[in-house]
Amino acid sequence: MRAAGIALIVALVAALASLPLVLPAFGLTFWVNVVAEILIWSLLAASVNLLFGYVGLLSFGQALYFGFGMYGTAIGISMFGLGLWPALALGIVASTGMAAVAGAFAVRLTWHYFAIITVVFSLIFYFVAMSQKWLTGGDDGLSFSAPPILEAAGWMLTDRTTQYYFIFLVCLACYALLALVVASPLGLRFAAVRENEKRAQLIGINVYATRWIAFVLAGFIAGVGGALLALFGRYASASYMFYHVSGEAVVWAIVGGAGTLLGPLVGTALLIIFREVVSGLWENYLMAVGAITILVVIFAPKGLVGSLTALVRRGESEEREHLENPGIPATPATARAEAE
Amino acid sequence: MDIVIALTINGLIWGLIVALIALGLSIIFGLLDIINVAHGDFFMVGTVLGLVIAGTTGFWIALVLVPLLGFCLGLVIERLVIRPAISSASLTIVITFGLSMILQEAVRATLGPQPRRMAAPVEGTIHLFGIDYDVYRLFAALFAALAIAGFFLFLSRTTLGTWIRAVRHDRETATALGIPVTLVCAFTFALGTALALLGGVIAAPITTVDFRAGIDILPVCFMAVVIGGLGNLKGTVAAAVLLAVMEGVVSAFADPTMARISSLVVMSFVLLARPHGLFAGATR
Repeated sequence: MRAAGIALIVALVAALASLPLVLPAFGLTFWVNVVAEILIWSLLAASVNLLFGYVGLLSFGQALYFGFGMYGTAIGISMFGLGLWPALALGIVASTGMAAVAGAFAVRLTWHYFAIITVVFSLIFYFVAMSQKWLTGGDDGLSFSAPPILEAAGWMLTDRTTQYYFIFLVCLACYALLALVVASPLGLRFAAVRENEKRAQLIGINVYATRWIAFVLAGFIAGVGGALLALFGRYASASYMFYHVSGEAVVWAIVGGAGTLLGPLVGTALLIIFREVVSGLWENYLMAVGAITILVVIFAPKGLVGSLTALVRRGESEEREHLENPGIPATPATARAEAE
Repeated sequence: MDIVIALTINGLIWGLIVALIALGLSIIFGLLDIINVAHGDFFMVGTVLGLVIAGTTGFWIALVLVPLLGFCLGLVIERLVIRPAISSASLTIVITFGLSMILQEAVRATLGPQPRRMAAPVEGTIHLFGIDYDVYRLFAALFAALAIAGFFLFLSRTTLGTWIRAVRHDRETATALGIPVTLVCAFTFALGTALALLGGVIAAPITTVDFRAGIDILPVCFMAVVIGGLGNLKGTVAAAVLLAVMEGVVSAFADPTMARISSLVVMSFVLLARPHGLFAGATR
C-alpha cells in the first residue's frame, strides 16, 4: 500500500512537471495557466486542511493570511521596488507574522467559536484593506509588473513556461514541507489534539502550543499561496480577503478530502476545472458547485480522496486504518462534550 | 444635531430589523448547534419574494405570505440537507455555505444581477424631532418590534414554545419526557428561516433588493448573536439594537467602515473574554 502511494505521488509530480511540454502540443496552451492557478489556490485549501483535517479546527478566515501574503509581495514590489525573492519573503513574513499574532488569540477558542473568531479577524482586515486605498488600492487593487526570477539567467514570469515551473516548484516545496510535518512527531501531536483534547493534555501535550504551531504553519502556507497569486496575476486586491474566498477554500478542502495530503489539491483541481469548463456555458454554475458541496458532505464526508483511500484499504485491519488515515474527526463536538 | 438624531433613529429601526433576523440565527444555533451561513441569504430571499409578491398582490399580502413561504422553505431545507448531516456537526457550516451559493445563484438566474428598489407601501414623510422622516421606516420598526414580541410570547406561552425551550435546555431529558425532539428541531429551523424572510420583506422597501444582500447582512447578524451571547435570545435583540445605534452614531462623525471595524473589534474582545456574551448572567 505504501509503495503504491509513493508510486502515485511520483506519477502525479511527473505529470505536473511535464504539463507545460505536453499541453501546448495538443493546442491546450491556455490550460497551462489554469493548472498553475489550481496549484496556487490549492495552497489555500491545504492551509484550511492543515487546521481542519489534521488539528480539528475549522477556520473560515484563511483568506486573511492569503491576502497578507498577496499584499506583502505586491506592496514590496510596487512601493519599495523590491526584487522578486525579497518581495516574496516579505509577503510570507507578513502572513506568518499575522498568523502568529491572530493565532495566539484564536486558538484559545475551539469549535464554533474558533470558526467565528477567524471570520471576524479576516473581516476586520478586509474592511481595513478596503478603506486604506492609498496602501492597498481597496476594491480596485494594486497592479504592478513582476521583477525577474533570476536576472542573470533572464528568467521572467512573463514567459508562460518559466512562470509555471516557478509556481510548480514553490508549491511542491510547500507540499513536501506539509508531508514532512504530518509524518513527524509534531504531526502525531496534531492528530492527538484533534482526536481527543483531554487525553492529549493528559499525556503531556501542550494543546494550546500545538494548535498555535498548526495555525502559524497554516498561515505560512496560505501566505505563500497569496504571494504566488500576486506574482501570477501581477495584481493584489482586497476582495481576495473576503470571507467568501475562505469559504471556497473550505469547500475545496472538504470536497477533496480533509485530513489527506492530496485532498485539497484534488478538490481545488476538480472545482476550478469545473468552473473553467462550465462557466462559459452556464452562467449560474455556482448552483452546481453548491449542490456538489452539499452532496459530498452528506454522502462522502471524508471527501473524494478520503473515501477512495478508505475503499482501497477496506481489506486492511480497522485499527491500522485508523492510525494511518484517520480522516476527519467524526463528531468532535460530542467527543469533546463527553471529554469535558 | 439633527443628523445625529436622524442617524440614531435610523440605527434603531435598522437594529430592530437586524434583531429579527439575528433571532432566527440565534435560535437555530441554540437548538441545532448549527452555524447557518445561509441565514443572510434567507433574508435576501425574503426581500426578493417581497418585491415579487408585493408587485402582483400588494404589500400587505406579501407581509403575511412571505414568512409562510419561508417556513415551508425552512422545513424542506431542514429535511433535505440539514438533518442528514447533523451527525457530522462541524460540516453543517459547509453545508449551509453550499446552500448559500445555491440561493444566491438561483436569485441571480431569475431576478438578474442588477440591484432593484421597491416602492414603499406607505408614502409620505412625517415631521419628527425637527427632521422629515419616511413614514414607512416607522412602520418597519413597528412590524419588527411586533414580530419580536410575538416570537417571545410564542416561546413563553405556547406548548410548542415550551418544547423548544426544553430541548434547548436539555435535549436528553426532553427526549425522556416524550417531547418529539426531531420535530421540534425541524420546526425551529423553519421558524428561524421564516423570521429571516419576514425581516427581508419588512426591509425590502428601505434597502436594495440584490442577490448579494445576504453577504452584507450576515456579519451584522453574527455580531449581534455573538455579542448578545450565542443562543441567548434576549441578548441577541439587545446587542442588535445597540450595535446598529452605535454604528449609526459613529458614522455621523467618522467613516462608516471605521464604525464597522470598531464593532468587529468589540466582537473579538467579547468572543475572547466573555464567550457567553456581554449579557451572560443578566438575562439568561
